[in-house]
Amino acid sequence: MSSQCTGNYTGKAPAVWPAKVNQIPKEVFGDAALFEEELKTIFYGDCWHIVGHFAEVPNVGDFKTFDLGRVPLLISRGKNNQVRVFYNTCTHRGNQLEVATSGNRKEFECPYHRWLFSLEGALTACPGSKEFAPDFKQENFGLMEVKSAQFMGLIFVTMGKNTPPLTEWLGEIVPPTLSTLLGGDGRLKLLGYQKVRYDSNWKGYNDNDGYHAPMLHTAFRLLNWQGGTTGFQRMTKNGHVVFEAELKAIQNNGFVNDPSLVEFKGSDPARGSRIVQLFPATVMVKHLDIINLRFAIARSHDVTEVHYAYFAHEDDSEELVQHRIRQGSNLLGPCGMISMEDAAIFQRIHIGNQTPGFAEFQKGVTSLMEVPMDVKQNDETGNLPRWEHYRKVMGFKREGEK
Amino acid sequence: MSQTITAAHSAAIDALHTAYLAALDKGDMAAWASTFAADNARYFCISAENDHRGLPLALMYDDCRGRIDDRVSFVTKVWVGTYEPYRTRHFIQRLSCEAAGNNQYRLTSGFTIMMSAEGGTTAVLTSGEYRDLIEIQGDGDKFRAVFRERRAVYDADVLPRYIVFPF
Ligand code: FES
Ligand SMILES: [Fe+2]
Repeated sequence: MSSQCTGNYTGKAPAVWPAKVNQIPKEVFGDAALFEEELKTIFYGDCWHIVGHFAEVPNVGDFKTFDLGRVPLLISRGKNNQVRVFYNTCTHRGNQLEVATSGNRKEFECPYHRWLFSLEGALTACPGSKEFAPDFKQENFGLMEVKSAQFMGLIFVTMGKNTPPLTEWLGEIVPPTLSTLLGGDGRLKLLGYQKVRYDSNWKGYNDNDGYHAPMLHTAFRLLNWQGGTTGFQRMTKNGHVVFEAELKAIQNNGFVNDPSLVEFKGSDPARGSRIVQLFPATVMVKHLDIINLRFAIARSHDVTEVHYAYFAHEDDSEELVQHRIRQGSNLLGPCGMISMEDAAIFQRIHIGNQTPGFAEFQKGVTSLMEVPMDVKQNDETGNLPRWEHYRKVMGFKREGEK
Repeated sequence: MSQTITAAHSAAIDALHTAYLAALDKGDMAAWASTFAADNARYFCISAENDHRGLPLALMYDDCRGRIDDRVSFVTKVWVGTYEPYRTRHFIQRLSCEAAGNNQYRLTSGFTIMMSAEGGTTAVLTSGEYRDLIEIQGDGDKFRAVFRERRAVYDADVLPRYIVFPF
């Protein structure tokens, strides 16, 4: 797995990255200058970022706006059904082109001087062009396209010059779980969003682990809900994590009045839970019958915005769709029965990380010198390869390293 | 639909609204649940964006009475000790009221929710619109209003924090 991301952050924090692999310097969560470097090196650098799914723009003319860091994007489905990603800016003087979060257009019009762009990005009209600069050529002023690639409808973009091809970036262990999570073929149907801002650094938001679930989430205990024993966590050297758990169906012990909330209709009978976490900031979850893609925006060192998007599969029965709506709405988001607590931790851990010292990883640590690649379902060490990748990408040297 | 609202029914509806707001502003989830009809009731809390686009997914989707009671357990049993506490103040303004027959009324009201995080300042959580189906139950001079359905459609495209309490 190669990654050409190499940073050379010269700011102060962290002064020292410890030699022990299970210690993460808390300074990396609270440093505004470091965030600027992360934008350049990671978010605008040689990494792929997930910004949407085809199912959000199902018809010709559908668009969605999204941000990559501070860069505004416009995702548009053109006449040939091809989905393109543009910078959301007029090629004349740079006015923000589209203000709506989503919609359907025949073309995009900039109101400032009424330049007109097709769904495919071509400049089709620009009033007064007879008096434009001598070197003006209309065909050179189409919308600026951002390099994109797709996997089962998932839209990836990169602004880097040396980003490896997407297949190489995903590696071998991500695609099998990811495709199952996406309903097997990515033919999804959008059910809706829950959008929220967390007062948390994007790395804190991404640092949820395999250890916490039975501890933090009281619902698992109250429902006598077992994670099973056949699950696994697998990591790639470039910071992705794949997690699967059996999650045996619960016997209703009377805790919930309406057990349909935690019923498993078995749209993916092999596994109750599948999570794919792609470096740097995307988490995707299949939990029971919920298909949930979490599009994250690193807004600042202090704020991470997450758009929880929920989907059904195109072939679902009406009944299954209804079940997915009910379950998605109530179980997994910023107000979900088994995930509101995760959201609380994102913010509390950000407050706690403004203190000296290190985030200390323990569960599953067998060596202090070697980044673990063999990790059990309920270990928290699954996060360490991602931290190692982050450290290298940003160019932090370990204590004692030349 | 020509049934006009009597002063007594109107007062009962006002009392229901007050009971709802008072319950949430005290953080009393059981009192919140008791503003809904005991046999069959629904509560939805959904973004204006989803609502406007016809996307059914919500932030809270309690499409039966059992899940309204389950939401009480989420707050009082499941999440205890995990979240950062906050208090709210709800303000509402009735926008429309229309008789729907069978002692039922359809109402819309604008709402604003202020939130005060423990140890923090006061800020706007969101605003929005309640769309209600309210029923007058009982007769003679002993009757009360209950929610058959309350749909809280909130305005924020992006909420400023994670959510514990219903809107
Ligand atoms: S800036 Fe868009 S037309 Fe001039
Ligand atoms: Fe969790």
